Amino acid sequence: MVKKMTFKQFLFILPLLIFIGVFSIYPIVTSFMYTFFDYRINDQTANSFYLSERFNGELFYEDCDYINYFLDDDKTLISEEDQKAVEEIQATVSSVMSEYENAKGTEKISSDKKDELVAFKEKLRTDITALYDKYPDVEFYNKDKIPEILDEMDTCIVKSNFIGLKAYGNLIKDTRFWKALGHTLIFTVISVGIELVLGMLLALIMNKAMKGIGLVRTVALIPWAIPTAVSAMIWSYLYDGSYGIVSFLFNKLGIINSQSAMLLTSHGAMSAAIIADVWKTTPYMALLLLAGLQVIDRGLYESSAIDGAGPVVTFFKITLPLVKPSLLVALLFRTLDAFRVYDLIAILTGGGPGNGTESLSIYAYKLMFDQSNYGYSSVVVMGMFVVVAIIAFLYVKVLGADVMGND
Amino acid sequence: MKKVSTFKVVSWIFIIAFLLISVFPFFWILVTSFKPETEIFGDGAYRIIAQHPTLDAFKTVIFEKNILRAVWNSFVMSGFTTLYVIVVASMSAYIISRFKFKGKNLLMALILTVAMFPQMIIIGPVFNMYYSLGKLNSYWVCLAYSSITLPSAVWIMVAHFKQVPLALEEAAKIDGCSTWGTLWRIIFPIAAPGVFTTAIMTFISAWNEYLLSCTMNSNESIQTVPVRIGYLRGQYTIYWNQIAAAAVVVVIPTLVMVLLFQKQIVAGIANGAVKE
Repeated sequence: MVKKMTFKQFLFILPLLIFIGVFSIYPIVTSFMYTFFDYRINDQTANSFYLSERFNGELFYEDCDYINYFLDDDKTLISEEDQKAVEEIQATVSSVMSEYENAKGTEKISSDKKDELVAFKEKLRTDITALYDKYPDVEFYNKDKIPEILDEMDTCIVKSNFIGLKAYGNLIKDTRFWKALGHTLIFTVISVGIELVLGMLLALIMNKAMKGIGLVRTVALIPWAIPTAVSAMIWSYLYDGSYGIVSFLFNKLGIINSQSAMLLTSHGAMSAAIIADVWKTTPYMALLLLAGLQVIDRGLYESSAIDGAGPVVTFFKITLPLVKPSLLVALLFRTLDAFRVYDLIAILTGGGPGNGTESLSIYAYKLMFDQSNYGYSSVVVMGMFVVVAIIAFLYVKVLGADVMGND
Repeated sequence: MKKVSTFKVVSWIFIIAFLLISVFPFFWILVTSFKPETEIFGDGAYRIIAQHPTLDAFKTVIFEKNILRAVWNSFVMSGFTTLYVIVVASMSAYIISRFKFKGKNLLMALILTVAMFPQMIIIGPVFNMYYSLGKLNSYWVCLAYSSITLPSAVWIMVAHFKQVPLALEEAAKIDGCSTWGTLWRIIFPIAAPGVFTTAIMTFISAWNEYLLSCTMNSNESIQTVPVRIGYLRGQYTIYWNQIAAAAVVVVIPTLVMVLLFQKQIVAGIANGAVKE
């Protein structure tokens, strides 16, 4: 019994659409736009999106004003005839600059106008240089200052920071990106793999309904429920190179060859991040799988036992195929979750040592907020998005994960 | 019979190892939190019971490092998030579970995609949006938490609302109840256990959120627990006893939540796995 929706009922989903629109769709589309610009907010010429060239009239006006002011001083030192020439120059400058008297910031400029202004500036440079050269012995007040002002005028023309697909080309050549992708994939595959095996074992045991399972379940929830940032901090203490108990024990057991190796070598740091992730997420995986196991009809186990199947055969022939749908969905979500890892690594290693544990999220974050390079950071994130799409595609199309299964 | 007992022994060893490993980090920060500064370095670092146990570390993090302020901020942010997410998700889950409309599958696919994509993709534009509205370092940032909490909330709620029998609604409709009234007076109370599970899961993910709050709420007065704890690490010397004490303090709310609501949490996790 499903009814058609009226407009009034559409209003019920409107808030959801607004939230998704404002905090998901709009940011994604905007991020995508960032990728086509050399968008760096710490650089005046690149802190917005300029499709066409722009002209900073305000700065141009100031520069012209300075030139006339400097010429006023210097013309007192030359012959009357040349003074006339200078006054002519000054008159031209005044007339050109008058157009920009009330200009504010940068504005669009046509290419004709731009050419005209460039020609004007070059003529100004040659005329003034010629005048100074005429009097090599006179010590002018502003002989060095005027060329500086003329150089500054060049920056009045703000080039477009539209770069099209160039940043994507840079991404392909960016070894740091590929390394970060490698780290992220290693982290994801190993930690999700271990979590799956351990989680499955735990779920199988919990499914046997033994005594004290309630306690196990409660304890299992705690590492999962505490903030990752807090657990990362706790682990960074346990791994500490001088006073960490885990690094101390690992060193005593001969797993690592010096206590500081846990966080100060890239292999150690990667293992450290994986262990911390496995510690936190295995219980979650176990509970997800347990839910899948509990819907399996117990009668099936009994009949397989009657047929004489051992526990291993039963697991592979009955349990695994039946739990596969929930297993795949759990795996898909865990894989994508591990793939975007940020807080664990940010707090545990900060991506170090020597970028040895830098994940894609960490790299993108550093580009965006440490270097203010929003444009390229967005390109890295798009690269991440593509990999996420490939992972989802593999799970859904190749392995047959049924994520939409609600209907 | 022998096989069964071997299985049991192995299971118990596995379970005990699991419990020990799960609990050990918490045990160790509890141990460290009672140590004075002199005992966190050198030989004292590996002693289980402090020679001179003290509450100094707790006093420092509570009175000087304002850790309770962060706990309060986390409560406010997560509380608001849970509130609006439940309202918005109930409204849309009701329509999705009851009515037929064009683009419904598209909407569900969209919700799923939003739940799966890397959060990094939205952080730049969202930061710029809050910056230009002058709302950085404010509780308004909790609205951005919707990108991580709302999709799964809608997803879980749709499953729960579908289980509410239609007959009850028909009766309400005959009695002249509007769609709005039916949702809040009939469906919502009946699906209350599911709603509660959704609320707990939303609260936990908002409580644990790091990326958005670390980027947008970096002022000490507005920092949430996950962000504050990262800032406790000094530049030169790390006072692990203080960090341990802070961790103990901030783990308590989570611990209480897990102990009180474990049934709902387990149900919430299971909802992600089992499909009707």
